[in-house]
Amino acid sequence: MIFTQHLTKKYGRVTAVDRLNLSIREGTVFGMVGENGAGKTTTLSMLSTLSTPTSGHAVINGYDVVKNPSAVRHSIGFMPDSFGVYDDLSVDEYLEFYADCYGVDKRVIATRRSDLLERVGLSDKRSTYVNALSRGMQQRLEIARCLMHDPPVLILDEPSSGLDPRSRMDMRGVLRGLREAGKTVIISSHILHELAEIADEIGILRRGKVAAVAAVQVMLQHSSSQRTLWLESRSDPSLVESVLAADGHVTSMEFRDGGVEFVYMGTYEGQSELLAALVAAGVKLTQLTERATDIEALFLRLTSEVGGSSHDA
Amino acid sequence: MMRNPILLKEFRQRMRTVRAPMVVTGYVASMAVLTFLLLYENVQGQLYLIQPSRSEQVFFVLSLLQMLVVAFLTPAFSAGSMSGERERRTLAVLLTTPLSPFSILFGKVLASSALQCLLLMASLPLYSLVFLFGGAVPQEVVAVLLFQLFTIFIVATISVMWSTIALRSGWSTVLSYATVSFMILVTGTVGLGLQSLAKNPVDGFAASWGHTLLSLNPLWVEAALENAVHGGTLPWVTFALFYVIIALILTPFCLWRLRPQWLRRIPGATRMNERNYQ
Ligand SMILES: Nc1ncnc2c1ncn2[C@@H]1O[C@H](COP(=O)(O)OP(=O)(O)O)[C@@H](O)[C@H]1O
Ligand SMILES: [Mg+2]
Repeated sequence: MIFTQHLTKKYGRVTAVDRLNLSIREGTVFGMVGENGAGKTTTLSMLSTLSTPTSGHAVINGYDVVKNPSAVRHSIGFMPDSFGVYDDLSVDEYLEFYADCYGVDKRVIATRRSDLLERVGLSDKRSTYVNALSRGMQQRLEIARCLMHDPPVLILDEPSSGLDPRSRMDMRGVLRGLREAGKTVIISSHILHELAEIADEIGILRRGKVAAVAAVQVMLQHSSSQRTLWLESRSDPSLVESVLAADGHVTSMEFRDGGVEFVYMGTYEGQSELLAALVAAGVKLTQLTERATDIEALFLRLTSEVGGSSHDA
Repeated sequence: MMRNPILLKEFRQRMRTVRAPMVVTGYVASMAVLTFLLLYENVQGQLYLIQPSRSEQVFFVLSLLQMLVVAFLTPAFSAGSMSGERERRTLAVLLTTPLSPFSILFGKVLASSALQCLLLMASLPLYSLVFLFGGAVPQEVVAVLLFQLFTIFIVATISVMWSTIALRSGWSTVLSYATVSFMILVTGTVGLGLQSLAKNPVDGFAASWGHTLLSLNPLWVEAALENAVHGGTLPWVTFALFYVIIALILTPFCLWRLRPQWLRRIPGATRMNERNYQ
């Protein structure tokens, strides 16, 4: 659905995007993560026909972004990273305007608009002026705007940037809905764990190159089969160490702050057996908890294990 | 024309402001007062003194004044149109829709001429007062009105183009007013100056340049349409040609701002589009 080959964009001497290869299947939500300046916005603006690649190709919905930009424009809904709104229009008029730009049938507009406003939680704001909406509402309105012409592909550049936690959660809900609607979505963010909750696949962009791509499903499996645990006890640390070392699932141990942090690679049943073994050995446990996994570290460990990615065609 | 989504959107944005009705009311009211004063002064309160030729002067003064007002009013409505979209950060999205740059610009031009056209229409009934006292010929009034509408359209087009090319509204306002000042003040003073120079020794060169410059002046062309000055058979042709050519010259620059990829086959153009103007 979205496919790029050696996509490159240079601004003078700066190479913002460097021979980027992506392939995103239909119905996939692809998260693109990277720090500021990694080249996310540049990539997305080439995909949305706003800027021309210096070299390489990008194909969306079967259309080349350079050779057939108008077909691409019909296929995409684009939300730029710093967007503006016509704040002197009402929500209804705002959506109608963009639908008109795409030549959407008048009868379709009315029903689709109510549908979408329902989905982004703005049904009660239909006649409100856009400038009276909060930033979070405007950002959800933008998602509805992107969907007014029912495009198969959505290109969203940092859709939840600058939002408070509550609005981020609302936005996440809206974005999850997109996958259910069967859209192919490419969405960028500089926060990995935020994307992990909505994306099917994640790619890390670094200095204009894809550093790694992985399926979120695989990551989650790994994160459930590999846990970092924290144990505190009133017993001798050497006793604890001997029991843990005897368990083949414990891969690393670190004693500090009166406890031990260790990585357990195995099932939850195995984990309870370890607990039983600890108790049997006479360890007086005061605490055994699971540490939140550092998803970023996990991701990088994972992708370096796989050795790059299967998507680097 | 009404199917242009930009036009509908702009009408909603512009006509809902307090400014729109205030401008219309203020304009019509002051024109009405002025017409009344001119006519009253004409007849000195004594109706038997009505002279059609003097009533024609009233029409002349009124129509020139109208031209002057709408010409200087137009950039105020159009010079911020595209740069405003850019400053609001709505332009990028607009450019990812299937709307062509031409229909975007056309929508903007029509939207920013609309209010001034409304002003002209709203003050038409005043002309009927002038008719009442004789003088102006209906065909002349129609010609003048059409020419005024055309001038508004031209000024709006060039201003919208400046607004596309200059990245900031401040600059496009300066350029647009410079354009109107050229059209009215520069061509007027230089043209008349050259013509008066040509009077003494017979200087065909100065005379013909003076005439050419004057025919670029909307006030002078309008006066020619009213047969107040001698402007040849079709005084508006040079005017129309000149400004249409100016607009055509500005067109590639506008496209370069809006769709740099269209110009990528022109050598050098790609190097210049390395910054994003959206
Ligand atoms: N219009 C531009 N002119 C020059 N350099 C640019 C331009 N836009 C982006 N860049 C450079 O390209 C790189 C990638 O930027 P960008 O795509 O905006 O990153 P991101 O969206 O991931 O933060 C940065 O180093 C930035 O300085
Ligand atoms: Mg960015």
